[in-house]
Formats: sequence, C-alpha cells, structure tokens
Amino acid sequence: MSPGPEPGYEFPEGIPIDAVPVGSTLLVTGPALSRTEDLALSLAACGTESQEGALFISTNTTAERLLETCRQLQPSFDAARAGIVDCSGQDLGRARFEAQVKSISTQSDLTGIGMKFSSLYESLYADARDGRVRTGLASLSSLSMYVDLRSLFQFAQTLSGRIDSAGGLGLFTLDPTTHDTKTVNTLGQAADGRVEVREADGADGELRVRGLPAQSSDWRPFSLS
Amino acid sequence: MSTYRILCVDPDDADRAETAARIRSDLADLDPVVETAGSLADAEAALTPETAAIVTEYTLPDGTGFDLVRSTEDVCPDAGVVLYTDTDPETIDTSELRGALAEYVGKGSVFGADRLTQLIRTTVESRAQASYPLPQNETERVAALQSYDLDAPGLSASLNRVTDLAAEHFDVDIASINIISEHSQEFLACYGATQEWESMDREDSICTFTILEDDDVMTVEDVTTDPRFESRSEDLLEMGIQAYMGANLVTEAGLVIGPLCIYDDRPREFSSADEAYLKALAALAMDLIELYNRADAEDSGEWQR
Repeated sequence: MSPGPEPGYEFPEGIPIDAVPVGSTLLVTGPALSRTEDLALSLAACGTESQEGALFISTNTTAERLLETCRQLQPSFDAARAGIVDCSGQDLGRARFEAQVKSISTQSDLTGIGMKFSSLYESLYADARDGRVRTGLASLSSLSMYVDLRSLFQFAQTLSGRIDSAGGLGLFTLDPTTHDTKTVNTLGQAADGRVEVREADGADGELRVRGLPAQSSDWRPFSLS
Repeated sequence: MSTYRILCVDPDDADRAETAARIRSDLADLDPVVETAGSLADAEAALTPETAAIVTEYTLPDGTGFDLVRSTEDVCPDAGVVLYTDTDPETIDTSELRGALAEYVGKGSVFGADRLTQLIRTTVESRAQASYPLPQNETERVAALQSYDLDAPGLSASLNRVTDLAAEHFDVDIASINIISEHSQEFLACYGATQEWESMDREDSICTFTILEDDDVMTVEDVTTDPRFESRSEDLLEMGIQAYMGANLVTEAGLVIGPLCIYDDRPREFSSADEAYLKALAALAMDLIELYNRADAEDSGEWQR
C-alpha cells in the first residue's frame, strides 16, 4: 500500500466497510448465489459520483449488461467515468457506449487483458479526481478456467501492483466454493485483504473484512440499492 | 536486498537517455544500476539473473519488446517488463505472448514518465510480476539468510546426517535442506538424487510456497493434482517428485530461511505425526546452523569437526 496521508476509499451507506487505504486490493469472496459480484461492482462503481474513475474487467458479462447492472446498483453511476475490458467473447460490433470499452477475444490472453486494462487506466486516471480509480475484476474464478493458477496469480499480482503504484483501489471477486483452499490462499496473496460474503435472511447478505487494519472482522449485514 | 538492475531499451537515442535519466533521478533513493540498449540483441546481451526490471519500446530494430519478454523468462524470470511505447496497444498482437505478462505505459500519456517510474518502483520493490507469492517479511528474511555462514566447516556434513535421518524415517529416496534466496533455491544438504540437482529458479521451486506456511509445514500429496504445481508436474515427475513434505527452518527471530524436505515418487498422504517429526528435524537443522555460526563467530573451534 502506498504511504501518505491521502484519504482512503469510502463506500456507500449500507455497506459496512470503513475507508480503505489508497493502493489497496481486496479479494471479494463468496458463493455464486450470494451477491458477491454485485457487492464488488457497487464498491467499484460508487466512486464515479465523486469524480473517481471506475474500471472493470468483465469475464462473463458483456459491457452492456455490466453498465446496466452498475446503474441498477448505483443510480448515481456515471458511465462517462467508467472503462470496461470486455472479455466475454461477445462481438462488440459497432456498439457505442457511454463508457470506454475495449474487448478481448479470449480470457486466456492475460497479456491482452493487462495491456487494455493499463491503457484504460491511463485514460481514466487523467480525468479522475486526484487520479483516483477503482478497479473491479469479476471474476478470477472465470479466468481460472482458462489459465493455470501460477499464471493467474502472476496476473492478479501484476494488476495489484499497478493499482498500488497508482494509488487506486482493486476489488477482485472469487467464488471459493469452486476452488480448493490452496488456490484461494494463493490468490489471496495478491491482495492486501479480503471481504468475505455470505447469504443472510432479511438483508442482501452479510460481509466481514479480513486482513485490513482498523476494520471490524465481525459478520455484518449489508444492503445494495 | 541486492542492488536493483534496470534495463532501458529504446532505439531512439534521445528517448533512451531521457528515460534512463528519469529513472536514475526519480528512483535515486534505491540507487539502482541503470543500463541501456538500443536493440533487441544488445538488450539480450545485457540481461543478467539480477535484472529486476526492463523498460522497453515495443518496436525494436531487430525484433519487438515481446521477444525481449521471452528472453527475460529464461534469464531473469522474476524481472518485471514494462512496455513504454509510442505504439498503439490496439495494434499489438498480444496473443503471441500468452503465458507471459508485460505492463504497458504509453509514452504519449499525460502522465507517462511519472507513472512509469512509480510503476518501476512497485515492480522492483514488490516483485509485482513474479509468478509466486512472497512472504510479507521477505526483506528481513533474505537479510537473515545472508547473515549466516552456510559454508562453515563441518556444517554440511552435519546437515547431511539430518537429511539421512529424514530419508530413513520416511522411507524415501530423496531428502534435502533447501535455502530460498532472493531469486533461487539452493541445495544446502541432501540425501539421494538431489546431489545431482543444481540450483533452480524460485518460480520452479515447491519450497518457495512452503516458506509461506503459517504453521511452517506443507504437504503435497500429488503434484499432478495440486493447482500450484500441476503445470510443472511433468518436470517434477522427471525428478522423481510426486509427493512432497517440507518443514521450515526458522531462525530465533522467527524468519524462515528455507525448508527440510522429503520427496516421494508416488502419491502419498502424510499424517500429523509425520508433520511433527519433520518439523522436529527441521528445528534440529536450524539449531545446527545457529551453533556452527556461533562457534564460527567465537572462533573457538569447539563445534568444528
């Protein structure tokens, strides 16, 4: 994490996570039926309201669907401050988006994903307030079906390093029920902390934060818009 | 930690000189060794195992930056590569580089040079493009390792007796004590076929994962089904390694310098009693290293054989 007095990244009411230091990357884990990915997208999208950038790497969802989801989760979401690396394999054709969108034909091309991510990051960084950009990667589980664990770890670590060096915030999702503990722990080494998500009655879910200082590690309910 | 070696590759003399000067200036606190090259051939000749980062244009007179990434994998696999280029990333065919990574910074971006040096700093300090995780106390760990005289007279023979005990107890053909240095794994003592093994890059080492274990012991029942090693399992099987157990050698300050390991050529389960026994032998090996070094320091010769 980058040193210095810069204020951390804050989150909307209803999501009980205290401000996270700039340069951090969090692994957001939860089973497929929980709202893990929605939570991660909310955490990444909410900054556009205050002129931060939001950059997504979307593996299974098209750019169009992702933007719709962000608008549903965050009514104040400003797509003009967003960028998407669309790895869904869908042909974008002549589609036009309010956000900056770059596509990649296969999820196995980690070099291509990384370079398009870096290119979009530069663009968003230049226009974002104080260069603040939040990155949402959904999901590492999907990428793991195309590349081996070592390559995926290297990719996640490289992204995390870029986010750290630029004073950004990273949110990488993973479904731990589809991986063994060794995989989850290895990928966890590329992040500074973890947000664990589980289903809960009467709320959109419950979360707890692990590995970050000055955060409660108790399970607490959260609500999304 | 060793001095960071950073290589700047750009066919444009002015750009190359400017980039190198910027790195020297912005990273002056790291006191890096900054080298330059104007072609792929010159860059490849300048690579060393200690090279920590390469900053390269994509288009080179005799190849591309991606060719250099591939050369880097052979010579300095832990090094990070940053394409610092005028070339539009949309025009670069990245599919040819699957399995390897390179960062991208556009020369024309509004914050190019600033971001470049920030990125290089993160890349070299956290080894951001390495394919294996680092312990959080890696700097202290390596410093602790370097503080020991591992060539102390008699130490090797004593440690070999520990690997003999391990091999005999677990009825395996290979056992070793491995040191995990900054970029490689070295064999400090061994029983069996490891005497023929040479040092290996850290990214190829199972033990580089063992040193991360909170309880200081790691078991792998079958490398062909373990997600951390399955992509390298063919090479491991050729070395006679299908199952593995390693227990860490931990200094008095709690820093891990490497593990004591046993290897089996068949899949194998390990019990908690197995783990406890190997940990006891690892503690014995660490005690021997501490004692030999203490004796060495006191120059008494009492412990030397």
